Amino acid sequence: MSDEGQFEEQEFTSKINRGTVIRILAQVKPYWRWVLGFMVSISIVSIIEASFNLLSMQIIDEGIIGGDRDLLVSLFIQYGLRMGLLACLVYVFIILCGQLGERVQYDMRKKMFHHMQTLSFSYFDRTPVGWLMSRVTSDSSRISDLVTWGMLDVTWAIVNITTAMFFMLTINWQLTLVVMAVLPILLRIAMWFQVRILVQFRDSRKMNSKITGALNENITGVRVVKAVRREEKNLQEFNELTGGMYRSAFKAAWLSALFLPAVQMISAIAVVSVIWIGGLQVPNAMSIGSIQAFVAYIVFMMWPVQDMARVYAQMQQAVASAERVFALLDTPADIVDRPNATDPGTLRGEIKFENVEFYYEADKPVLKNFNLTVRAGETIALVGPTGHGKSTIVNLLCRFYEPRGGQVLINGQDYLDMPLHAIHSRIGMVLQTPHLFSGSIRENIRYGRLNATDEEIETASKLAGAHDFIITLDKGYEEQVGEGGVLLSVGQKQLLSLARAILADPEIFIMDEATSSVDTLTEALIQQGMDTMMNGRTSFVIAHRLSTIRKADRILVIENGGIAEMGSHAELIRQKGHYYDLYTNQFKQELEAKYTKAIETGEYDAVVIPADEAEAEEQPSGD
Amino acid sequence: MTTPTASIPMYDLKQAVTTSKARVVGLLKMMSGYQWFYVGAILSLVLAAIGRAGGFLLIGWFVDDLLRPLPQFTDMTALAGLNAQSFTFIRPDLASLIPLVALGYLFLALVEGSFNFLRGRWAAYTAENVVWRIKNYVYDHLQRLTFGYHDRMQTGELLQRSTSDVDAVRRFYAEELVELGRIAILFSVNFIAIMTLNVSLALISVVILPLLAIVSVYFFRKISKKYEEFQEREAELSTTLQENLSGVRVVKAFARQQYEEDKFEKHNAARYKSGRQLLRLHAAYWPLTDLITGAQLITGLVIAAILASDGVLTVGDYISYAGMIGALINPMRQLGRLVVAISQGLVSYDRLAEIVRETREELGENVPAPVTEIRGEVVFENVMFEYDKDTPVLHNINFTCKPGETIALLGSTGSGKTTLVTLLGRFYEYTTGRILLDGIDLKQYPKSFLRKNVGVVQQEAFLFSRTIRENITLGVDHTVTDEEVIAVAKAAAIHDSIMSFPEGYKTLVGERGVTLSGGQKQRVALARILLKNPALLILDDATSAVDTETEAHIRNALREMNDKRTTFIIAHRITTVMHADKILVLDKGRIVQMGTHEELVNQPGIYQRTYEMQARIEDELEKELANV
Repeated sequence: MSDEGQFEEQEFTSKINRGTVIRILAQVKPYWRWVLGFMVSISIVSIIEASFNLLSMQIIDEGIIGGDRDLLVSLFIQYGLRMGLLACLVYVFIILCGQLGERVQYDMRKKMFHHMQTLSFSYFDRTPVGWLMSRVTSDSSRISDLVTWGMLDVTWAIVNITTAMFFMLTINWQLTLVVMAVLPILLRIAMWFQVRILVQFRDSRKMNSKITGALNENITGVRVVKAVRREEKNLQEFNELTGGMYRSAFKAAWLSALFLPAVQMISAIAVVSVIWIGGLQVPNAMSIGSIQAFVAYIVFMMWPVQDMARVYAQMQQAVASAERVFALLDTPADIVDRPNATDPGTLRGEIKFENVEFYYEADKPVLKNFNLTVRAGETIALVGPTGHGKSTIVNLLCRFYEPRGGQVLINGQDYLDMPLHAIHSRIGMVLQTPHLFSGSIRENIRYGRLNATDEEIETASKLAGAHDFIITLDKGYEEQVGEGGVLLSVGQKQLLSLARAILADPEIFIMDEATSSVDTLTEALIQQGMDTMMNGRTSFVIAHRLSTIRKADRILVIENGGIAEMGSHAELIRQKGHYYDLYTNQFKQELEAKYTKAIETGEYDAVVIPADEAEAEEQPSGD
Repeated sequence: MTTPTASIPMYDLKQAVTTSKARVVGLLKMMSGYQWFYVGAILSLVLAAIGRAGGFLLIGWFVDDLLRPLPQFTDMTALAGLNAQSFTFIRPDLASLIPLVALGYLFLALVEGSFNFLRGRWAAYTAENVVWRIKNYVYDHLQRLTFGYHDRMQTGELLQRSTSDVDAVRRFYAEELVELGRIAILFSVNFIAIMTLNVSLALISVVILPLLAIVSVYFFRKISKKYEEFQEREAELSTTLQENLSGVRVVKAFARQQYEEDKFEKHNAARYKSGRQLLRLHAAYWPLTDLITGAQLITGLVIAAILASDGVLTVGDYISYAGMIGALINPMRQLGRLVVAISQGLVSYDRLAEIVRETREELGENVPAPVTEIRGEVVFENVMFEYDKDTPVLHNINFTCKPGETIALLGSTGSGKTTLVTLLGRFYEYTTGRILLDGIDLKQYPKSFLRKNVGVVQQEAFLFSRTIRENITLGVDHTVTDEEVIAVAKAAAIHDSIMSFPEGYKTLVGERGVTLSGGQKQRVALARILLKNPALLILDDATSAVDTETEAHIRNALREMNDKRTTFIIAHRITTVMHADKILVLDKGRIVQMGTHEELVNQPGIYQRTYEMQARIEDELEKELANV
């Protein structure tokens, strides 16, 4: 993902927005019983922990100094019982809090995923996949951490400090005031530290991903590096990165190392004042046990303070995360069903583009006053340079985008008055770079029609010309594609997506031909599959191969967002315009590619020589 | 950016990992230069622990010696069940010591705090510096290993070792080793301190600890296994998400939103389930160890309390003990996590050491070359080469090339063309025979010198994600003027394309910048080598994605730039090779035909057939158009 531009991540927010916090809390509202459960158990835990000090005080003052053996025994039995109870409560809050955390993440991810399915193409055009991924993965876990473990820690901390204060007040109120004065300072310092530590960690994480990038590039490009002897300079540049990482990682580490001692020192000062003042007061105010208890409470309060500071830093991060997540969830879908949309029952029939205007950015029109009428069953080939509007036309036809002006009529009905599902479910599409999902080949084909039987899948594959290569694979239709499976060529992937489209049996077929070279056999198979598809179906092909173009009923040369030339192959060749140039150029390139392939593989005989020339030519005998 | 230094000082990691097979020795040796900081960190650990134990002892002494309960009241208190408040008094003769005690306590806290800080800082200093060094070394090492090594290894594998395994080693130094030391030292110091109070009490204080250690290690083994499983679920979920997002066109085209949601739901639920299982282990572990430590704590305290009430221990002793036993027991709960982490760290060390032990390619940077300038005469004498033993890819290659000549190589994939030219830069060493460059055996030239003078443009043009200008200039050491860059870009027929980008030569290439077409990439790569201006130029199918006309333009420009340069061209197009002084036709690692275009085109064979095929293109076009 890009580091620059609009998708720069603001990891911390300086102001914690109330509305966002409330909305974060709303995530756990359905589970308020769990929240209550872990809050109650952690509170009891905190009180029990605090009571240990009191118990110790009793043990010292009454049991040991008082010399009462029976009391001592009963005090220790109490001690043990409380510990047992503590362990049970610890179990309860870990389970409740942990489950809640998993649940909240589960819910948020589900919600986000669902919402993303409704968003339109325009959103995905301007939003990098990596950005969306981080929302669903890391942001959701930061938010859930805050409402579970963060909340738990804060509850514990507050109860802890309150009970400690309470017990301390019962022992000596003057000393308690001293501690109260120190506490806010402690908290401030702790927060200062925690935020800085988090910032440094974030910096070193960023550095780390840059280092990984540099390593990756150096390994993949090692042949060039060696050929141009760039080792020394590369190392110097890499050292800049690792040096930067060193600095932020080291700073984060020593700040963390300083944090605890700093907090400890401040609490030590509090302890000393207790000893000082308390020691002077002992004759009339404090017992030995109570001094010990007092000291223990102060030491104890260090942890809640530390926790609160950490949660504060996390909260800054989580609120920033939440703002991004909510922004995603609040993005409305551009293209939605209109009220009163009616399903026409079929898309078969005439398709008409009427004065269609379209732009992605307002000042850069892509289609201008575009008009086209396509008869049912006609095959339209779209040719022309990249970026002049071919893909836009088919995207508009699919209603992945909607016209900014004019209308698209299907059988006379404005397609804006149809539900999206009615359109999408009747259109079959094969993309230039076919997208397959991880899973078996069978699963990928079945994507076209989920209730298709295995026989139907095989029939579709045969029609698409994919069957033959599938059965040569070790596991045939069960072979996994993608990572950990077979690596399919672009041509093979196109065959599979053709099979997928054939299985869907759409009423309109759209194909964007692959530009990358496909071997001759596969190309013939693809051609055969396309013929099956286009037979009797209204078809739009963004065509790159001559064989496809020649077969089309009508060829549209798209240039500058409009139709530059239109007609059959023969008509356009005779015109000697753009199409003529395009065609002759393409013709030479295709032949050259074919011959190069033959030379590369040494299969000279695979190149079929036209009959009339073959006679005239004297074929040299093979070597 | 700091000013580039002549070279980065490089610690010889290899020496550290090869001297001993023992991993611990290797890990310690890697620390060399920083070991005293590490020793300092460990010492700080000890001093901090002593400071802490000292604090506990001071409080005990304070209670015992400065505060004295009045005996006559103590019995009454016990009888009345009241607390002893207001019955204890300070010894008036020692009251003046109170400020000292307070300062002493503060001092000990300061000692503990400072040394804790120093421990953290020095350990981090060592770890981060050592790791910085390791990262640089591994990076440099990888770029200095041979082509052969990189042919064998997968990028992902190397990348993982140089990132996550290095990080595991960092954690070993920065966290795990120190933590282990901390546990050991806290344990020893507190144990010894308790011993000074009472020996049998000290022994009783650790009686249940072995059980804790066993439970801890057992659980963490399980937890780390479960955690791996959880990570897998998480990865699956990510993949599903990523595929959905990048395949959004397919999802929408087939209206499969519901299906996708179901699929995501399945993975989301699996992750949820796995997360819960992991959670249950944690939920069992912490209370269980709470119970074990609690049992140990109470056992110790009960005994101590009995000893105190029997007068064997003083009250102050008991108070000190109560503080120290916590410091003795609690760190033990971390032991399991630590054992598992350390064993993972050692595995990472092994994987890293495996790379480091590989032999680097000696570039001979400081070895003087036998000549100062290359004229460019190349002679192959019975050259044979094999990547693997007994499967030669080149047999008996013999040919001569005069200075300034252009040699073209033609042949099918796997015929050995690329291998043949790669030998010229000594990226691989030929097995038998001789290659003479200006009459001197190639093996007598240091590689560094050769690679400076031999420029290779590969078919798969590799561009770095930098600006176009940086991509062009990265092969030369000196600073380059814009005019020079533009001149080579023009010669490579890429200048106009570059200028059509909004940022011109400053345009970023790759993911974050523009995507160049195959032909554009090839031409940038060509410009890069032209700027280097090598005495020997090798074009390995370097213009295959460039159209015929542009290619002709490039050919002329090359000749204009330097017509004394020896050039090797690998190509499939007859138009590319036909102008060469000598054409070698290779088949299965042998030269099967050699001569000029005029000679070969009249000779039956691969060359003639290739020529005929390509010559037909125009004829066929004419016929095609006539058919319309």
